[in-house]
Amino acid sequence: MMAVAFSLAKREFTRFARQPQRVIGAVAQPLMFWLFLGAGMGTSFRPPGLEQVSYLEYFYPGVMVMMLLFASVFACITIIEDRDAGFLQGVLVAPVSRMAIVLGKVLGATAIALVQVLLFTIAAPFLGLSLSLFGVVLLVMGFILTSVGFAGLGFFLAWGMRSTSGFHAIMMVFLMPLWMLSGALFPISGAPAWMNVVMLVNPVFHALEIIRAPFYGGGLDLLGRSGYLLSLAVVAAWAGLSLLGSMRRVSRREVGV
Amino acid sequence: MIQINSLTHTYPGSRKQAPRTALDALSLSVREGEFAILSGPNGSGKSTLFRILCGLALPSSGAVHIGGIDLLAQPEKVRRILGVVFQNPAVDKHLSVIENLRIHADLYGIKGADFSRHCDEALAWTDLADRLNQRVETLSGGLARQVELAKVLMTRPRVLLLDEPTTGLDPASRRNFLAALQKVQRDRGITVLMTSHVFSEAEDVDRVAIMCEGKLLAFDSPQALKAMIGTEMVVVQPMGEVEDLAAILRAELGLAVRRHGDELRLEETENGEGLPMLESILERWRGQIKSISIKQPDLEDVFVHVTGRAVPDHAVKKELPR
Ligand SMILES: Nc1ncnc2c1ncn2[C@@H]1O[C@H](COP(=O)(O)OP(=O)(O)OP(=O)(O)O)[C@@H](O)[C@H]1O
Ligand SMILES: [Mg+2]
Repeated sequence: MMAVAFSLAKREFTRFARQPQRVIGAVAQPLMFWLFLGAGMGTSFRPPGLEQVSYLEYFYPGVMVMMLLFASVFACITIIEDRDAGFLQGVLVAPVSRMAIVLGKVLGATAIALVQVLLFTIAAPFLGLSLSLFGVVLLVMGFILTSVGFAGLGFFLAWGMRSTSGFHAIMMVFLMPLWMLSGALFPISGAPAWMNVVMLVNPVFHALEIIRAPFYGGGLDLLGRSGYLLSLAVVAAWAGLSLLGSMRRVSRREVGV
Repeated sequence: MIQINSLTHTYPGSRKQAPRTALDALSLSVREGEFAILSGPNGSGKSTLFRILCGLALPSSGAVHIGGIDLLAQPEKVRRILGVVFQNPAVDKHLSVIENLRIHADLYGIKGADFSRHCDEALAWTDLADRLNQRVETLSGGLARQVELAKVLMTRPRVLLLDEPTTGLDPASRRNFLAALQKVQRDRGITVLMTSHVFSEAEDVDRVAIMCEGKLLAFDSPQALKAMIGTEMVVVQPMGEVEDLAAILRAELGLAVRRHGDELRLEETENGEGLPMLESILERWRGQIKSISIKQPDLEDVFVHVTGRAVPDHAVKKELPR
C-alpha cells in the first residue's frame, strides 16, 4: 500500500515542481499577506498580555497554517477533474487499496506544504524567535499533522464535488473561516464568548496552538503541558478521521436506483 | 469470461431531470479469448456498462461475473485481471510518457526488469520510441492516445475493456493499434470487449454486439450479422419526395423498403436477385430515381438495419482521413 501511495505522492510533487506559477503563488500569497498585514497593523495591535509581541510575530504561525491550508487545497482541487475524466480513472480501476489512493494525494500535498513552510521557517530568527532541537521536531510534527488534516478534509470535500467552482466556494465559506477563527489573525481572548466556543472546537485552532508552542515553549517540557497535549490529540484525531472519511468516500460506488 | 445477466441501471434523477434508465435488462456473455466489439448509437449505454464492468458503479439490478468472480461483490479481485481504456484520457499531461508508464506499473506492482520488458512490449507498435521523455501535453492527440493504450497493455490484463480507444487516431495508427492489440490478444488469449463506432474495425473480430437504448439488439459474428440482411441490397435515391417513392415500391413490389436518410434500401435480397430487381425498378420508375445501385451489405448496413437509424454523424466524420 505504501509503495503505491509514495508513487502517487511523487506524482503530486513532480507536477507541483513543474508549474512555477503554482510554486510562486503558493509561497508569495501568504508571504504578502503576512508582510502587508504585519506592517499595516504594526502599532495598533496591543492585546492585553501580548504587549511585547509585534503583529508580524503574532501572525507568523498563522501564516504557516495558511500555507498548509493553501497547499492542500491546491492539491485537492485536481481531484475533481481527474476523477471523471482524467488520471484518477486509471488509478481507481487498478488493484490498489482505496487508502493508498487517499494517502497518495495527502502525502503529496503534505510534502509540497512542508517545503514551503520550512522555507518560511527561515524567517524565525529575524523575528527574534528561536527553536530548540526538540522544538524543531515538534514543529515539523505539527506541520505534518496539520497538513494531513487539511489535505484529508480537502480530499473528502472535493470527492463529492462536480465542479471546481463549487470547491472554490467551499474553500471561501468553510475552510477560510476555519482559519480565520483559529486565532491566526487575532487572539481568542479578545473575541466574544460565542466565537470563543467556535474557536475551541475548531481543529485549526488546535493546529495553530501546536505550531505556535515550539517557538515559545522550548522543547521537551511542552510534552508535560496538558493544553499542548490536548491540542496535539485533537489535531491527530482530525487528521485520522479525515483520512478515514476520505477512504470511505473513495470506496463508495455510485449506485443505480 | 465476461457474463452479464439482465443488468439494469437507472441514473438517479434530480429536481430538473427525471431518472434515466441507461441499461435495460441487458444480458451479454463474452467467451474466454474472444474479441468482441460493442456498438450502439450515442447515449445507448455503452459507457455506463463499462463503468459497471470496471467496478466504479453498482447497477440497479442484475449480476456480472468476470473470470468467474462476482464483480459486484468483489470488485478488488476483478481489478487484478482487468485493463481499462476510458473514453476520456486518463494520462497525466504534466508528466512524461515514461513517468506515466512508471506510475501505472507501480499501481500494478510491476518492478525492475519486468518493467522494462513489459514496457518494450507495450511500446513496440507505437510511434513513441524517441519521445519517452517528452511530456504528454506536448504530444499530438493521437500520440497521447497511444500512451494511454501502451499503459494498459503493459499490465498484461486477462480481460481488456476499451471504450472507443481509437478516437483521434489517424487511419495508420488505428490500424497499427488494432493489429498490435489483436496480436497481443491472440498470443495471450486475452478477452477483449471494445466499443467502437468505426465498423471497419469490426470486420475481422469474433463477434459484434449492437445495443440501443440499453438493450442488446444483436450479438453475433460479423458474417452472421451480415447474412441477416441478405447478401445483396438495392439502394435507391429518389429524385423527389423520398416517402412517395417508398410508398409506391412497397405497394407495387410487396417488399420491405427501409428509409435511411434520403435513400431507400431493399434488403434481404439473395445473390443474383439484385440485378433483375434493379432493372425492373429502373424500367418502371426511371423518372423518379436519381441513382440506383447494388451493394453487398457491410456492418454499417447491419447497424442501420438493427437500430433503425442512421450511423451517428460523428462516427462518419471520424472515418475521414486527417
Ligand atoms: N452521470 C449521469 N447521470 C445521469 N445520466 C447519465 C449519466 N451518465 C450517462 N447518463 C445517461 O445515460 C445514457 C447512456 O449514456 P452512456 O454514456 O452510457 O452512452 P454511450 O453509449 O457511452 O454514448 P456515447 O456513444 O456517446 O459514448 C444517456 O442517456 C446519458 O444521458
Ligand atoms: Mg460512451
